[in-house]
Amino acid sequence: MARYAMVTDLTKCVACQACTVACNAEWGVPAGYARTRVRSTPISGTFPHLASGVYVAQCNQCDRPPCVEACPSGATSQGANGIVEVDKSLCIGCGFCLDACPYDARYINPVTKKVDKCDFCLARLERGAEPACVTTCTAHAKYFGDLEDRHSDVFKMVYAMGARRMETSRVRVGPNVYYAGEQARADLVMAAFPPRPPRLLAAGEAWSRVLKPLVLAAVGATFVGQAVAFFNQLRNGEKDFED
Amino acid sequence: MDNTVSRRRFLGTIAAVGAGTAATSTAVNAENHPPGWSGTQRVEKIATTCEMCFWRCGVLANVADGKVVRLEGNPDHPLTKGRLCARGNAGTSLLYDPDRLKFPLLRTGKRGEGQFRRISWNEALDFLASRLKAIAVEHGPESVALFPHGLSARFFSTLMKAYGTPNSAEPSFAQCRGPREVGYTLTFGRELGSPEPLDLEESRLIVLIGSHLGENVFTSQITAFATALSRGAKVIAVDPRFSTAASKADWWLPIRPGTDIALLLAWMNVLIAEGLHDQEYITRYAQGFNELATHVREFTPEWAAAITQLPAAQIRDTARAMGAAKPAVVVHPGRHVTWYGDDTQRARAMAILTALLGSWGRKGGIFLPTPIPKGAFDLPPFPDPPRGRADGAGTRYPLASEELGVTNGLVDATVTGKPYPIKAWIVYGQNVLESIPEPQKTLKAIDALDLMVVVDVLPVEQINYADLVLPEATYLERYDSPSIVTTARQPFVSVRFPACDPLYESKPGWWIAKETAKRLGLDAWFPWNTPDEHLATIIAPMDINGEELRARGAVAFPGRPYLDDRAADSESPFPTGSGKIELFSRELENLGADPLPRYTPVEDPPAGYLRLIYGRAPVHSFARTQNNEVLNALMAENEAWLSTRSATDLGLREGDRVVLENTDGVRSLPVRVKVTEGIRQDCAYLVHGFGQRSKGLHRAFKRGASDTGLMTRVKVDPLMGGTGMRVNFVRVVKQTTGI
Repeated sequence: MARYAMVTDLTKCVACQACTVACNAEWGVPAGYARTRVRSTPISGTFPHLASGVYVAQCNQCDRPPCVEACPSGATSQGANGIVEVDKSLCIGCGFCLDACPYDARYINPVTKKVDKCDFCLARLERGAEPACVTTCTAHAKYFGDLEDRHSDVFKMVYAMGARRMETSRVRVGPNVYYAGEQARADLVMAAFPPRPPRLLAAGEAWSRVLKPLVLAAVGATFVGQAVAFFNQLRNGEKDFED
Repeated sequence: MDNTVSRRRFLGTIAAVGAGTAATSTAVNAENHPPGWSGTQRVEKIATTCEMCFWRCGVLANVADGKVVRLEGNPDHPLTKGRLCARGNAGTSLLYDPDRLKFPLLRTGKRGEGQFRRISWNEALDFLASRLKAIAVEHGPESVALFPHGLSARFFSTLMKAYGTPNSAEPSFAQCRGPREVGYTLTFGRELGSPEPLDLEESRLIVLIGSHLGENVFTSQITAFATALSRGAKVIAVDPRFSTAASKADWWLPIRPGTDIALLLAWMNVLIAEGLHDQEYITRYAQGFNELATHVREFTPEWAAAITQLPAAQIRDTARAMGAAKPAVVVHPGRHVTWYGDDTQRARAMAILTALLGSWGRKGGIFLPTPIPKGAFDLPPFPDPPRGRADGAGTRYPLASEELGVTNGLVDATVTGKPYPIKAWIVYGQNVLESIPEPQKTLKAIDALDLMVVVDVLPVEQINYADLVLPEATYLERYDSPSIVTTARQPFVSVRFPACDPLYESKPGWWIAKETAKRLGLDAWFPWNTPDEHLATIIAPMDINGEELRARGAVAFPGRPYLDDRAADSESPFPTGSGKIELFSRELENLGADPLPRYTPVEDPPAGYLRLIYGRAPVHSFARTQNNEVLNALMAENEAWLSTRSATDLGLREGDRVVLENTDGVRSLPVRVKVTEGIRQDCAYLVHGFGQRSKGLHRAFKRGASDTGLMTRVKVDPLMGGTGMRVNFVRVVKQTTGI
């Protein structure tokens, strides 16, 4: 099975935002919201010895996605290819997954009231096309491919050129979005936009540890009750309502 | 991708299809860009050309039920190869902007009040024609001026030449590229053109002088720049501001504004003194080297250091880096280069530096244009205008282009009535209040007019001063005159084909010009009935057919970009008077100007004031896109960049609201402060295009500050009439009441 990954070359990226707008256009993301965001770090240093960097943020399709655990309705799940998907028909817009995501990569669509985020353009992949952001990138700074394929660009960039993940000692969720480029540039970005520890306890974790079994039990109990009633009805026949 | 080979292969396909069944455009379309999906929607894909800026990138419009649902890059386009910037991707938000001009409008109130009456196209064009006829009788046709811009502007240029006026001027000359085209033509015998013929992919060193690539997005140039970076090309960024390009540069030279010629002379000094220039190339192709060597002998890095406020060692190091990388060095000629009034001379200095490095016509430098034959109509000769140009092109400004003209010269003539009065303006595809500096003067000129006509897509501020407003179809709804690009590695032709029908009552530029011509009895200059007929004539000598072009959107031809490709040619690759690269310019000497560039001292800001500099953001083009829903959401207003030191002195913090006030007391709208180490202490920086004052633009109205509004002074280049616009100073006034 493919293990999809995306690599952004921070040396090449000029923060032109083509990826943001292409993604918005492809997926009907309302203006002001985004599935992929470009952010510039503040300029650091003292004139004239300065440095700055660019960060392209999106869903990292983590190996251990905290959002999946946090989702109470089962709308967020991870496919065998590693892509984290949101089933819009199951999403209740509770926002627990927003708290859980260390990369702030999710938003709630104000029109549909459902959560939305990057899915590596899964629908495009299924038609043999690359993600919209990769196709449009003016600086040719984005690469997409399969880490299981030793000949892919992403394999070379990750394993030979040492593209890195945005992880810290506190946040290790196995992101599959990588960043290539000079160490110093990546360090700047990491210092400016570190992943935030998932806020699971208050929301998702409490849900998954306590509420989830309770609700499941309740759902199960309801089902049993319904079944009992149904069989009772079968046995006894339907009674007319009395006015 | 080898476009030449694929073109032949494609021609083969056409022939096969043609032999079998009737080759319809649909069949060919299916061959190149089959219907597909956009998001989860099934769409037709129509190849066309972007106009969110003027780089002319290839676009595929994804159309479902007559509605453009998505734009994407056209992978078949020889230059942009499927890449498309943020603005290009946001084009549908222009098409469906509810603020668009929808109907022809006739002014009912006073100029500037914005009171109009909706009229029909018949009424509008009858009005226009009758006024133009009356003006021709009363004042002569030469008293009508045209301000054109863009591909469809050609139809209006034809119309006005046929009408009999010589007065047409585009801001792309006197407010943008003019000085460099003149400076490089004086040196190499040919202008650079657009897109700039820069061999960035192959370059080993890129020298940016005030050019902030990255914030200034020309798609294919960004791709090439980024490719060069990833291949290890070095970058020298000369800029008073720490731009995106500077953040990627190996050397950032935060130069004292206006002193670039001193730096360029010092670089030449080092190259020649240390023998780092390309002597073989100079001997073979150039004249005037000895004069140049003598001229720059005194301009040492130490001399330049005192002027530019850059360390002498850094000047020397960067010159050596150029010498080591030659000839694969691109000294980027810049794009908007009208800064200090000595701009032609700065362009000359850059051209001479390019020559010393042997880069012109060499791999990794600047490549030579390859012409492609273009068809022409058999038109009657244009009438001789009763009087010569009013803007001084060719006379007061001896080296100004008589084809592109001097916009500010026309404004001056309108205000003063000299050399003769200008009574009417027709503005097409540009915004004279944002593109031309000294908008106060422009308004004064408009006040003196009998007739002001604006052809536009959006209700920008200038329409409020128009007598007649003609709503044009957007680039996605119209056919435009084909774009023929000779300045790419492979020359190509591309066309803007309509992706959908015009909305409301908007009409394409070609239709407006042709219908006006009909009413003026000038039909003979528009001897075609449909866009297809027009296109067929233009591409007739190109050995391609219209269906192929329609299917692909663009077709490329083999290029001969390097001097080596021209070795067997009998003509000199340098069409100057001497047939050589003219390091020393006899032409300038004859005009009484410096035949070799010389640094002229620049004025410092008065106490308490900062020099106003300005530039671009990647998500906006000029003042054209600020109302676009998607782009506005990404950047709704600009910020005033101030150095940490300036901000501290003024007691300002990041995000504070200020107004900028210039030395003539003109104030900007309120703007937020960005406090940064990334700008020189003597400068303030604004992104251009904000602070618009048209209520009709609901998103852009009064958001941010206009740099143009603060340009009450310019320094005019005596050689070509360009307006130096970086000569304005502002002080920062804290706003205590917010908006």
